[in-house]
Amino acid sequence: MASRFAVHIVCSDQPRNGKSLLARVLSDFLLLDGRDPFLIDISHPEGTLRNYFPGRTVLVDFSNIRGQMKAFDTIMQAPGRDYVIDVSSPYLDRFCEAAKNLNLSDAFREVDLAMAVFFVVDAAPDSLKAAAWAEKMLKADIFVPVRNTAVGSALPARFDGMTLNMPRLDPELHAIIENRRFSLRTFLQGDEADVPVRLRPRLKDFLQSVMTELRAVAPALSLVRLRSGAA
Amino acid sequence: MKPTLILVGADKGGVGKTTISRALLDFFARKNVLTRAFDTENPRGSLKRFYPAITEVIDLENVAHQMKVLDTMETANVPVTLVDLKAGGLSYALDIFERIGVLEAARNNQFTLGLFHIVGSSIASLDEIGEISKYLNGIEYVVTRNFINETNFFEWDQTTHRKYFANLPKAQEIDIPKLNEMAYEQIDLSGVTFKDFIENRAADGQPGKFSFVLRGYARKWCSEIDEEFARVKMVQDLLTGGRGTPAA
Repeated sequence: MASRFAVHIVCSDQPRNGKSLLARVLSDFLLLDGRDPFLIDISHPEGTLRNYFPGRTVLVDFSNIRGQMKAFDTIMQAPGRDYVIDVSSPYLDRFCEAAKNLNLSDAFREVDLAMAVFFVVDAAPDSLKAAAWAEKMLKADIFVPVRNTAVGSALPARFDGMTLNMPRLDPELHAIIENRRFSLRTFLQGDEADVPVRLRPRLKDFLQSVMTELRAVAPALSLVRLRSGAA
Repeated sequence: MKPTLILVGADKGGVGKTTISRALLDFFARKNVLTRAFDTENPRGSLKRFYPAITEVIDLENVAHQMKVLDTMETANVPVTLVDLKAGGLSYALDIFERIGVLEAARNNQFTLGLFHIVGSSIASLDEIGEISKYLNGIEYVVTRNFINETNFFEWDQTTHRKYFANLPKAQEIDIPKLNEMAYEQIDLSGVTFKDFIENRAADGQPGKFSFVLRGYARKWCSEIDEEFARVKMVQDLLTGGRGTPAA
């Protein structure tokens, strides 16, 4: 049987390229799927995810050992749920180093937690190198390079492997969904009042497009785990 | 195989003698090499706190206690005897061992005698090496630079180093990396061995509640130390029964 729970890590080497938005969509996707994700926001001191997911988010200062304990001990002490970790770009190196030093992928496997990484590959060619480095360091069950159309991507158009494509989101919609009280999940559930009628189809298209691609990750994850004999 | 007596010491205090003794006992435990230990921090040894089952606290100035260590090496059926010398006890131990013929017996290959000399960064530590060099013939001498206190060996420039090591061509040198402070504190506080801490086992043998992160850092530290210890010839002999370098 495939693993029931997974740790989803959203990261990039560059700032402001849609990581936190993807982490939000991913978390709402899991919630809509009836799962119970807990969010670990490694973007101290900003911590925007707490606004959207109060009560299920912890803000972590990863620059010190206590922060690392707050992040990873939380997961290891309660592996029976899903996790979403949003790693802001200044902490990527430190996060990957810690994951390697702590044999994080093996530790997760020991408690039957799968590990999926979503790396937003930015437009700069170095971002592709950073993605390759992060893949090597994190040793996740599945590593998904992400193209965000809004910022461009150094990821080749023909990439052999699973990718995730984020379509461009209307700037007007950006401003609306950034409101701390706006929930993507409740919007999809029919609470559309905060979005002008003319923009609603665009937001729905965006969310459904990303969520459709996210839907493909779980079976791929199960397959990888079955092949490795870990499931 | 000949028994092995390992001394761990320094004349300078606070350089991490007991930590290295614990690391050595832990290393041998992980490699399934039986050990027994003597703690000369009389009357209350800190090594005994971590290894109560195999450690005895002794007073090395007491002849009966010297006999406990030295006269039982053959009969103890344990290949490694480790003595954690208290601060300032290194020169004294070597001097008394020279006078009662222990060093001579080691030179005659009756047993293997190793010394892990824990040194700090200061010239005082280098002076210590000079002071004990007269005893070192026939001893496997391992200069152990301990970085556990974030020591910076800035004073060990090449010229100074050459000067002090000129008379010690067979000296081996190893480095002990720094262990994360919080991990170190949690291990100390709980009084468990490094191995038990990594395996999340409390001192009473019950499952522990130690931090996954701190256990991870302790595991990484131990694996780095393992590499250092495995470079020491005496340790290689113990792991292979004297048949040469252990397989990787």
